[in-house]
Amino acid sequence: MGDKVAIIMRKAPYGSVYTAEGFRTIMGVAVFELDISVVFADDGVYALVKDQRPDKLDMKPLGDGFPMLEDFGVSKFYVHDKSLAERGLSADDLVVPAQVVSSAEVAEILEANGKVLPF
Amino acid sequence: MLYTINKSPFTTNHLESALRFAPSGAPILLYEDGVYAAVEAPMMAAAMRDTLADHPVYALDADLEARGLTRVLEGIEVIDYDGFVELVEQHDVAPWL
Repeated sequence: MGDKVAIIMRKAPYGSVYTAEGFRTIMGVAVFELDISVVFADDGVYALVKDQRPDKLDMKPLGDGFPMLEDFGVSKFYVHDKSLAERGLSADDLVVPAQVVSSAEVAEILEANGKVLPF
Repeated sequence: MLYTINKSPFTTNHLESALRFAPSGAPILLYEDGVYAAVEAPMMAAAMRDTLADHPVYALDADLEARGLTRVLEGIEVIDYDGFVELVEQHDVAPWL
């Protein structure tokens, strides 16, 4: 593994292009075998909820893409605890086995990676 | 780590969210519409004074002046583009978009 980079996802999935672009960026960065940490906070946690039916909007699946990132060497998923709780969600509601972390731990992850790409 | 905010605190949660994560002492830079958080406004001033107790806060002069914002809260450091570059040289950046 080479350089480290953190991707922070803060937007809900279908109302804007951010989640899709974030996902594409993760794929692109993964190709270069960088050490990637993906952090979901605020409405970003909605990108990971189970049972999404994007076909209802004639859109491509977003949430379902995240578990397959493991095949590209991306497996460090972190979810902000308060963002989950405020939205009535828990780790069981998510499509990937993400580590639930505190606000301070999110800051530490960003700090440890140095490079932060926001979506 | 430098947390940068470019959206108005009156229409988005960008600043509020960044402040949940930024550890005490982490610098905050307000630019573009983020500078609306830097002025004397009843809706934000109290929250910004609390913020200033924990963080150095910077606001970009060109964005303030372009928007006609002259009443900057005491304690906020107004910087120019060179100051912006210096901050980015000194810190890793967490762009809170």
